[in-house]
Amino acid sequence: MVIVRRVKPLPYWIVPVLALVVGLLISMIILYVMSGGVITPYDILLSIYYGFTNVGLLAKTFALLVIVGIGLLVSFKGAIWNIGGEGQFYMGVMLAAWVALFSGFAFNGFIAKTMMILMALLAGGFWALLAALPRAYLNIDEVPVTLMMNYIAYYIVNYITIGEWREKQYGYYRTVTIPESTMFQVIDGTTITLELLILMITIFILVWLMFKYTSLGLRIKVLSSNPNLLRSSGISVQLTILMALLLSGMIIGMAGAAYLGSVSHNISYPVEEKTPGYGYTGILVAWLSMLELIAVPIAAYIIGALHTAGINIQIMGVGGAAVVNVFIGSILLTYAVLITISEYKIKIIVKKR
Amino acid sequence: MIEAIIALLAGMSSVFLAYYLAALGHAIVEKSGILNLAIDGIFVLSIAVAYAEAVYTNNNILASLLLTAIVAALFGILLAFLVTKFPISHGAAGLSMMFLGYGLASLVGLPARNLQGSIKGLEIGYTIDINNPVWIAVYIIIILIGLGALFFINKTKIGAAIRAAGEDPAAAEALGVNVLMVRLFAGALGFALIGLGGAVFELAYVQVWSEGTGMGHGWLAFAISLSAGRHPLLLILSSSVFAGLVKYMTTIQAMYNIPTDLAKMLPFVAAILAMVIFMATPLRRRLAPPKSLGKIYFREERTV
Amino acid sequence: MATQAESSKSFFSSPSTETPIIKLEGITKRFPGVIALDNINLEIHRGKVHALLGENGAGKSTLVKILYGIYTPDGGRIYIDGRPVKIAGPMDAIRLGIVMVSQSPVIIDRLTVEENIVLGLEKLNMFAPIRRIREKINEVSKTVGVKIDPSTEVWKLSYTQKQLVEIVRGLLLGARVLLLDEAITYLPLEEKKKFYKFIRQFADEGGTVILITHKIPEAMDVADLITVLRRGRVVGTVPVKGTSIEEIRKMMFGEKSSEITYERLPLGSPSETILEINDLWVRGDFGDYAVKGANLKVRRGEVVGIAGVAGNGQKELIQAVMRLRPVEKGKIIYDNIDITNKTTHYLRLNGVGYIPDLPAKYGVSIENNILENIAIIPTFSKEIINWKHIKSLAYKLIREFEIKTPSPETPVKFLSGGNIMKVLVSRELTAATKLLVAYNPTRALDEATAIRVRKIIKSKVINENVAALIASEDLDEIFQISDTIVVMNSGKIVGVFPADKAKREEVEHLMVM
Ligand SMILES: Nc1ncnc2c1ncn2[C@@H]1O[C@H](COP(=O)(O)OP(=O)(O)OP(=O)(O)O)[C@@H](O)[C@H]1O
Ligand SMILES: [Mg+2]
Repeated sequence: MVIVRRVKPLPYWIVPVLALVVGLLISMIILYVMSGGVITPYDILLSIYYGFTNVGLLAKTFALLVIVGIGLLVSFKGAIWNIGGEGQFYMGVMLAAWVALFSGFAFNGFIAKTMMILMALLAGGFWALLAALPRAYLNIDEVPVTLMMNYIAYYIVNYITIGEWREKQYGYYRTVTIPESTMFQVIDGTTITLELLILMITIFILVWLMFKYTSLGLRIKVLSSNPNLLRSSGISVQLTILMALLLSGMIIGMAGAAYLGSVSHNISYPVEEKTPGYGYTGILVAWLSMLELIAVPIAAYIIGALHTAGINIQIMGVGGAAVVNVFIGSILLTYAVLITISEYKIKIIVKKR
Repeated sequence: MIEAIIALLAGMSSVFLAYYLAALGHAIVEKSGILNLAIDGIFVLSIAVAYAEAVYTNNNILASLLLTAIVAALFGILLAFLVTKFPISHGAAGLSMMFLGYGLASLVGLPARNLQGSIKGLEIGYTIDINNPVWIAVYIIIILIGLGALFFINKTKIGAAIRAAGEDPAAAEALGVNVLMVRLFAGALGFALIGLGGAVFELAYVQVWSEGTGMGHGWLAFAISLSAGRHPLLLILSSSVFAGLVKYMTTIQAMYNIPTDLAKMLPFVAAILAMVIFMATPLRRRLAPPKSLGKIYFREERTV
Repeated sequence: MATQAESSKSFFSSPSTETPIIKLEGITKRFPGVIALDNINLEIHRGKVHALLGENGAGKSTLVKILYGIYTPDGGRIYIDGRPVKIAGPMDAIRLGIVMVSQSPVIIDRLTVEENIVLGLEKLNMFAPIRRIREKINEVSKTVGVKIDPSTEVWKLSYTQKQLVEIVRGLLLGARVLLLDEAITYLPLEEKKKFYKFIRQFADEGGTVILITHKIPEAMDVADLITVLRRGRVVGTVPVKGTSIEEIRKMMFGEKSSEITYERLPLGSPSETILEINDLWVRGDFGDYAVKGANLKVRRGEVVGIAGVAGNGQKELIQAVMRLRPVEKGKIIYDNIDITNKTTHYLRLNGVGYIPDLPAKYGVSIENNILENIAIIPTFSKEIINWKHIKSLAYKLIREFEIKTPSPETPVKFLSGGNIMKVLVSRELTAATKLLVAYNPTRALDEATAIRVRKIIKSKVINENVAALIASEDLDEIFQISDTIVVMNSGKIVGVFPADKAKREEVEHLMVM
């Protein structure tokens, strides 16, 4: 079997649709067999229908995934593999919580929310920078570093959550809930908040502009394709790496603030179990989008919907929380493989001996 | 004093072995150029498989180890095949497989736990501690495996082929390496070791199972592997440090009055520092990651 | 087709029934946007050195890569010793006795010499220790005339040594057919001669060589037969005896061949000094001094050509001028400003263009399109990119330099080698409003394109009063393009001649002295 490049790529939409359908079939088979017949294809189809149509349930997840996905895309475009979304996200959550709870800005909702987002941006950026510096100056692989920084972030947030910031009145394992004034404002008739929506749209436009019209955007792209060219053009490779990861972390940090303001309103202990995991699912969003910004919302929608569908299957019984994972894992794995046939074709060569 | 140390060593031997096997497996997989982000999922799955098999076979340790190694190896083969034969992102394939592993672990583990709950007195596992002299054998085995792996990777032809596939698969292919076969082999062997690590972790250390058991420990093995620059002997050092930290976390905390969560952070901080040290010193030439680790491989790609 | 049939008949005086060692029938290979090989029919015979010539993008590399199993053809059949074969990978090729050596060493830096060699050796068991083969390597090395310790890691070797290792490897694997894809192009002259002697000997002992090169005289010297490819088709096969350079050129380039000349281009009229190098000391990759106190002056309106055998400090000198390599001692003055502590970025903003060595690797990004490859240079875009401006510039370059591309938005990787080079050269010439710095600017280009590039550079120098500092290992190039010829040897400048007074023998002598 040999894989060769197609002389002409297949039309844009056929393959993604086909890949999703096949992925779905495979996940149905796996779940049916592994659950001993308890989870039937019919259940799954029903759940999927539910997942894709239940827009209300999806909205918040969708918006947050879009932001995180864009954040990751910024570094992925430069072939800087930021696996540290979780850490940057939670650093954002933590600093936003600090602003809401202790900074004294809470008297004014607007100022407080702005500060929450701003501080989260700095925190996420800072956390990413800690991995970016060794990557840029010592050439230390960013994948393991960002990954391990996730755990460090988890434990720092844990420490604070049940330490200084702990809700002491009832003794819950969580922080105090942020004041009403700092909670993001739910848009009437939906579940999404206004601030989150604005944030998502703003980030989308800014990043689009960056890649379309700025040298920085182009430099990040060339960083992935040929850093040697950057060097001989007189552009600092190190600085480009720093910028790619910094921006990535900043965007993801902001998603953390939005999560605190719109969804959780406090931090629950232990974070590594309570996390919505957007830092990881966001990676899938970025990859599913094939690193095309325009496709990020679509990818976020699909992943968000599959997530909802998975939770719905899980409610049906057999298999615990992680059934969602079988579902997402098998669909995406199939997808990742099949998507290649839009540009490549498979040739079978028979050998005569 | 000596006795105390021996007790410590004996006590941590099972975790040590578990981490060492998984980290060594990871090192072999990555030496061949496959970025292994599936490790945590497969580690968790291996734990569940080992547990379930032990429950179903009335605690047949050997059967449990064997089955786990085979299941994990199959995933290794799948990952190796996909990222070598198809021009797809290693990260996407690995992470999807991680999710799959998490999920399958639940599906495999839950029925077994229900069964265990319904049979009175069914205990699983094999305890290795100060009362079981096998712990000494564990240390000897680890050292032998380390030396064997070192010879295997650095001195044999297949070892050279694995490294070649990791450095530059296109060049390796041109030099006459069958990159696909080599990666399938490395994937199978490496994941079998990861699976064994998971099985040892479950059978000799945790010995119970609930959903999510072992989550994060695969990443720990990942950290161990990288902090030792994927070197079979340095891995002994780093996995012993991590094993000690994990096993005696509570003791250390109590002794120095460190909050739990800060103590948990230590191994990760240590791993990052170790990597910084390697790369900032001349050790970098020996311990640098394979040059094509995680790079998409397409044989007909234009080369410059 | 007729040419081929005729020539093979005339060549094999006794109409031989000998089956060709390699026979290609209708081989076709398409890439996105091009047909690289279009129904190729070709016979290669035992004991011959068979040269494969053709302009950039003719399909030469594609053809040998198919023979070596790296590319899979879309159609056609391959016969080895008369039997049809499928070559699914290099391992298959090696089994058939076919080994390829290409221009950039395809060998792995972090492995030792013996490890690299052993990888293709099927006789050695997969789990066997490697040192078993050491004796054998030493033995074969001797026949090629190299001394390399098999246990050294490859990154410690020089370029020449790496190429030799590849040859040793080929022989050790029992090659009957050597595919040499510009394997010799980058070697220093002396080594080249040795290499050709070896090739001749290999063929005389019954081996077969397929040789790809852009130097027609070299091909005429060493080969028995020449096959010319053009746009993916065989133009014809001719025996070397009984043909001439002119005839080959005509086959390769058609009417364009009349433009090919090695005459000196018109001299410029130098004016004020723009670049001055004073007592420059620069370290090489391994920490020792590569440039040892060089002094040099470049004036506007002239081309200064640095002649020298590869590895005598030219690369380091050029990189130091471009501020891509630290200066240990000495001064570089550009446009009356000491730039020793300035950055490449500064030069880019102040009218310097740069054509690096191995241009496809250091000068362009093949994944990006032409527009992006222009816009990335700080000379052409500030923080915000003006795509309209870039686009009109791109169209202008495509027109003026006849860059063959479907559109300016085409990824550069889909262009042929020559056209990639044109993208780079045209861009850098536009950037060079005051000074052009180049290292081997036409290496790996076919004759016609190379001469065109030189003419373009020279006319820019003359018409726009630009200065050019060009280092090249190709003496023809130095003599054709320079106004002042500077000879570099062991890190020092050992001679400076006005072009019209320079004698070839003298320069050659200084180079190898
Ligand atoms: N891997 C590839 N992917 C896409 N296109 C390719 C690839 N390899 C070659 N081509 C295209 O196929 C054509 C033939 O290329 P090839 O490399 O065989 O030319 P060549 O005769 O070796 O030229 P040169 O003298 O520049 O090396 C060119 O148009 C080139 O752009
Ligand atoms: Mg070529």
